[in-house]
Amino acid sequence: MPVVEKETIKKGPGRAIVSYKVRSHANDPFFVKKNAEAKEALSKIDLSLLKKK
Amino acid sequence: MTPKLNTMNLPHYNYFTRNNYLDYEFYSEGPKGRVKKIVLFTKMQDNPLVYNLAFGDEDPDTGVVSDLVITDNKDTKIVLATVANTINDFCDRHGDHYIFAIGSTKARTRLYQIGISSMLNEISVDFEILGSKNGVLYAFQKNVNYDSFLVKRK
Repeated sequence: MPVVEKETIKKGPGRAIVSYKVRSHANDPFFVKKNAEAKEALSKIDLSLLKKK
Repeated sequence: MTPKLNTMNLPHYNYFTRNNYLDYEFYSEGPKGRVKKIVLFTKMQDNPLVYNLAFGDEDPDTGVVSDLVITDNKDTKIVLATVANTINDFCDRHGDHYIFAIGSTKARTRLYQIGISSMLNEISVDFEILGSKNGVLYAFQKNVNYDSFLVKRK
């Protein structure tokens, strides 16, 4: 028996399913911390290459 | 002519979102069971506009999200393809902006890098992929260790 349930895996163009069950994580401490770390890491990168595009 | 296999054609899990198209979730399924994965896009800065992609597992009992546990559900490619699909969906709603990703540890960042490398041919059809190293951005190459990543849909 396959370990992964194949019916849950899709192939081809996908679209997110909008669900009221998906809660906001904007204020979740984990993501707040992750975003702060990301912001600090991003601030150390020279992004001038991106602005030229 | 055989069409190129792109991210959208790779096997992926069903994924769900709120009506803000910033929060996404899906379930990884494998030997370790069913694990809820959360993907969150957060605006980091303007000019250039960059969003952060943060990713973690939600504990089914406590609801606490973490990325310090390695799920090891033997479905890394499917998980990565699903995350790539959430990026596509996010871009459909918010535009083709740069998306930043960094692991919580060097080992986690290395895992992201291995995942990107393993699917580079497919991912690069849809996305421009950059890696940063010591504060400098480079076009992503296999077998190079990067500090973080920036992707943008083409």
